[in-house]
Amino acid sequence: MLLERLGKELLYFDGGMGTLLQSKGLQPGELPEVWNLEHAEEIVDIHKSYFEAGSDIVLSNTFGANAIKFHDSKYGLKEIVTAGIQNAKKAAELGVHDGRTTYVALDVGPTGKLLKPMGDLSFEDAYEAFKETMIYGEEAGADLIHIETMSDSYEVKAAVLAAKENTSLPVFATMIFDEKGKLLTGGDVPAVIAMLEGLRVDALGINCGMGPEQMLPILEDILKYASVPIIVKPNAGLPKQRDGEVYYDVEPEQFAGYMAKIVEMGAHVIGGCCGTTPAHIQKMVETTREMSVKPATKKDITMVSSYGHAVILGGKPMIIGERINPTGKKKFKQALKDHDMDYILKEGITQQDKGAHILDVNVGLPDIDEPAMMKEVIMELQSVSSLPLQIDTVDITAMEAAMRIYNGKPMVNSVNGKQENMDAVFPLIKRYGGVVIGLTIDEDGIPATADGRVRVAGKIIEEAKKYGIDKKDIVIDVLAMTISSEPEGAKVTLEALKKVREIYGVCTVLGVSNISFGLPYRPAVNSNFYTMAMQNGLSAGIINPSSEDMMRSYYSFCALMNYDKNCEEYIRVYGSQKAGTPAPAAKAELTLKEAIEKGLKEEAHHATGELLKEQAPLEIINEHLIPALDTVGKGFEKGTVFLPQLLMSADAAKIAFAVIKDVLAQEGGEVQAKNKVILATVKGDIHDIGKNIVKVLLENYSFDVIDLGKDVPPEVIVDTAVEQDIRLVGLSALMTTTVVSMEETIKLLRERKPECKVMVGGAVLNQDYADMIGADFYGKDAMQSVYYAQRVFEEE
Amino acid sequence: MDARTKEAIRYLGYGRHAVDDHTLKLVESCFEELSQAACGRIVYRIFELEFPESGRILLGNLDIHSKNLYKNLTGCKKAVLLGATLGPKVDLLLRKYSIGDMARVVTLQACAAAMLEEYLDEWQTALEADMKKEGYYIRPRFSPGYGDFDIAHQDMILRMLDTAKKIGLTLTGGNMLTPSKSVTAVIGLSETETSCHIKGCEVCQKKDCAYRRS
Repeated sequence: MLLERLGKELLYFDGGMGTLLQSKGLQPGELPEVWNLEHAEEIVDIHKSYFEAGSDIVLSNTFGANAIKFHDSKYGLKEIVTAGIQNAKKAAELGVHDGRTTYVALDVGPTGKLLKPMGDLSFEDAYEAFKETMIYGEEAGADLIHIETMSDSYEVKAAVLAAKENTSLPVFATMIFDEKGKLLTGGDVPAVIAMLEGLRVDALGINCGMGPEQMLPILEDILKYASVPIIVKPNAGLPKQRDGEVYYDVEPEQFAGYMAKIVEMGAHVIGGCCGTTPAHIQKMVETTREMSVKPATKKDITMVSSYGHAVILGGKPMIIGERINPTGKKKFKQALKDHDMDYILKEGITQQDKGAHILDVNVGLPDIDEPAMMKEVIMELQSVSSLPLQIDTVDITAMEAAMRIYNGKPMVNSVNGKQENMDAVFPLIKRYGGVVIGLTIDEDGIPATADGRVRVAGKIIEEAKKYGIDKKDIVIDVLAMTISSEPEGAKVTLEALKKVREIYGVCTVLGVSNISFGLPYRPAVNSNFYTMAMQNGLSAGIINPSSEDMMRSYYSFCALMNYDKNCEEYIRVYGSQKAGTPAPAAKAELTLKEAIEKGLKEEAHHATGELLKEQAPLEIINEHLIPALDTVGKGFEKGTVFLPQLLMSADAAKIAFAVIKDVLAQEGGEVQAKNKVILATVKGDIHDIGKNIVKVLLENYSFDVIDLGKDVPPEVIVDTAVEQDIRLVGLSALMTTTVVSMEETIKLLRERKPECKVMVGGAVLNQDYADMIGADFYGKDAMQSVYYAQRVFEEE
Repeated sequence: MDARTKEAIRYLGYGRHAVDDHTLKLVESCFEELSQAACGRIVYRIFELEFPESGRILLGNLDIHSKNLYKNLTGCKKAVLLGATLGPKVDLLLRKYSIGDMARVVTLQACAAAMLEEYLDEWQTALEADMKKEGYYIRPRFSPGYGDFDIAHQDMILRMLDTAKKIGLTLTGGNMLTPSKSVTAVIGLSETETSCHIKGCEVCQKKDCAYRRS
């Protein structure tokens, strides 16, 4: 069995396929997989020469055989994949002369598309495409699945899940890193390893992109973090160009020398990629034949990751931002009910800017579809922030939905010591990977003593083992009880923290601010307790990073304990502040009108506050805000104010509006009922800057904008228009190819909502084009759209 | 003011107008942020050219009908086909700031476009010197979408260059390049020097465009 040999003895992959096919006449742009059927003998011949050279595992010629990349009028995918596996099996019969056991791997390469949010391919569609290939491969008799040359962590997750969930074959995965140790989509080595090991791949590593020499530092990095056997498949050097042709110039001898070094460092499965030939593999096998492999060592590192980077717990304390959570927050609840994604995302971005390392995400609210909302918020957050996320829910369906589509290895909040809960949560951790927070509470409630909580922690860690979940993937929350009702609460928590670290060696988290519930001036208690908790072994506090008191404790602690080398971070944050004096407030030299016209946010905020002392909110809107916006808008039309200025003013006005709205809400009043406008970037189009510009300006003029986003199918736009009885829809498209979707949307709107007006805009549009597709109005620029919207609603 | 700053300001629609200090500062800070986020990558190959008839160009597996490109390439024996991108992190920035700071989004967008042009210009200068050694002169680069050069060719161009694997450049269903700050282009190689130096912007028939290079 392959898995029994893996990691214990050195195994050999084959070398390049593409370069050999090109030398046999494959044209750039041609589909190599078609050769499985049209030039089967050539393919068998290549595989055979690799077996003869000493390869134990040969990859089928199916790199691009997935429904997204492979489109051929003559052959179906199943035929191609089946032939690919059969060719390799046939070659094994012909090429293995020494009776050794060899394996045929179903080779799975990327789809060639970028997944959302970077591109337009959905995670589910990528999964389905891979699933189809995986099933055909297993049916055809592949011995393992080798997912390779991946440069996007999200895509490799889709592929690994497809392999794991639809076949029983071993799964290997290798990625392309660049010379800086990054994927093309930005992920670093620890992030990739955290995710792949979480998904329980059998071996992982690096292929393509570079020669063996350049891979050495990457391998070194992989060895630091990886616990599973490691695969290394370099190119025959860096690609070079001669007469426009790509070639590689590391000769077999030299290649083999590097590969011996790579085995010595700790690789377990080696082979070659682009530019390597049977001669390279033969030399590599000869040179390393007598070498033994270093066993893979289990790394005791608690890591969570996003698609970009990993966060390691257990050293310097980390900050988990707690603000994405409706508990006790009226505005946040409203945002969830209104599906106000911007509000939620802003909470995330603010915490990131304030220094959070991980963001907790809790969207639980009665009457909302939590799984759907959780999934959406996770996806949206990952499109604007590269911080790892903590999926915080008691709804197991929501937890699974979020873990499945999360790009990386998430933190999961939480499991507890109740058997029923562990039975539900641990299978998810096993399936998708993740670091799970174990709450020290069980069927008997929260133990009153530190020892009691330590006991529950132990129970959780033991139960996890049954699923093959290592304690490095468990972090314990010993729970902070409010001292106003539990006088010994803080002492018990601190003692339990310390003991859990000492006894089990696991990382810990704590929701710090519970401690002061019911007390006056809570920040003082919270921030001091936070320091004490860190001193007692808290790995990550779940806190509000916008709280200056908490951050002061944090930065001070890190400086004091030498987690902050040369106090650099401390100095960066506090270097410009004098002790005892708070940061000076923005001066109010400008009037609100001036602040808006100049596009100064802080000044607009301040000036609004000042005005509110003297004037009624609605008066401020009508006498200051709107006239300022009008001045800027007219300037834009005349060509004396330009787009960035127009938008800076719009953003400043938005802040002024927010201040006014707060006051109105406190007084129980409300801004008058607004006119609703739908905005959407049409199907197929993913460039939504124009639409977002129009949105900001319409909101300034008190329109209630229903932003449906980008790449929006016509039905979604029309359904929303019908459901919400919309009078005006604004559509944007950037390219001629997507104006077609615009036309379709308009047609459908005319059928189902004939009284609704449509305004259009976008780079390729003009009045003639807009007329041709049947729009009511062409907005040459954002202000024109605002004026048109005003006219539409005035007519009513 | 350096060339790319001037170019970014042109993309922002300022035309010949002077830029105000506030915006200029924004432009500068956007360039600074982009210098961290952008990661320029390029891949190219040289292909033989054939012209079976007027207005039709064969370039590797590409069969292009385009009067504008034909004019650009007439007299060339070969052409460089290239794909380049500033990478996905630029898009992450654009998405991040589109929540609450649209002024920064449009400015980042303009700066990134200027940065990509600058990156290509620098690369092209090196290419020009290399090609000169081999006896070739280069023509201005010409991208799908310029004039009548159909963007439907993007798909084949990306496949011929294997851009998804090499530089992470892919296409959406609607033929849009992702990451968004990316280009593909053709650069003709001719054995004789010509004075054909019309660049992309000037070849466009939309003469009333606010962003037109003056």
